[in-house]
Amino acid sequence: MGKKAQKTPEQKSYQQLEQQHETKRPVLKNCLRAFWVGGLFCIVGQAISLFYIYFFNFTEQTSGNPTVATMVFIAMLLTGFGVYDRIGQYAGAGSAVPVTGFGNAVISASIEHRTEGFVLGVGGNMFKLAGSVLLFGVFSAFVIALIKTILIRWGVI
Amino acid sequence: MKKIIFFCFFIVTMSGCSHHDSKNSPMSLIREIHPTPAIIGSKESDDIDMLNKVKKDVEDMEELFDVAVIKGEKEILVAYKVKHLQRFHMVKIEEKLNKMLEEDYPDEDFIVSSDFKIFLEAVELHDKMEEDKDYSEEKAQKKFDKIIKLKKEMT
Repeated sequence: MGKKAQKTPEQKSYQQLEQQHETKRPVLKNCLRAFWVGGLFCIVGQAISLFYIYFFNFTEQTSGNPTVATMVFIAMLLTGFGVYDRIGQYAGAGSAVPVTGFGNAVISASIEHRTEGFVLGVGGNMFKLAGSVLLFGVFSAFVIALIKTILIRWGVI
Repeated sequence: MKKIIFFCFFIVTMSGCSHHDSKNSPMSLIREIHPTPAIIGSKESDDIDMLNKVKKDVEDMEELFDVAVIKGEKEILVAYKVKHLQRFHMVKIEEKLNKMLEEDYPDEDFIVSSDFKIFLEAVELHDKMEEDKDYSEEKAQKKFDKIIKLKKEMT
């Protein structure tokens, strides 16, 4: 049974009707919002990284780790206060794709399941969404490192 | 929303203030300062001439715009700032610089760095040596070694 080919006349006419009434997804507007809010996060991140360079013994090389940790921590706090949801509503991918989205995913899942208790609720569900970020992040890092090692062995880079 | 704006403002403002005790180094992020080459220990004019020449050679590279040179006991530290649009080629620039310095000054041992922190610390050391007459050679060398150690740190 082909899925595409067979559509009854009713289905077709309904599809047309649906298309007429459907509100268009504002792709460009969403992109622009994501762009500028994501950029704003990056400015804050840059400021934090400069803060670490100025006041502590971190170089540009090493200031990345504490900066990421701080950004995730701030996002976690904002999620707890309910601010991050609003940012997410406005900016969409602009607030989900940067590393701050990770903190949001962890905390919002734990808040959601708090009523089920600390072990089975919070502990078991904390990484419901963030777990896949960790898994595929670690895995892709492994693959990239493998490729880099092989290329270095071959003398390409 | 107000809170967020305030928070961002706070972070940006905070990163502007600093406790560095020399006049140039806090500004070295924004301004070009072109510090004169500093030398720890010997006051021979040969060395100073050589350092001036090194600084001029490095500064003539068109990808860079600010250079700090400091000579310690053994090594010479060259910290530089790369023009913003050239930052994509940072590795190549470092290679080029290393090669140039090695060819022109085969007897010297160079440590080059494009890291802003290294530049900042170098300028601070330079200012301290110039302003503070009590700043001893040992102290300067100690700070110099600390900068080198910081440069070699990777994670």
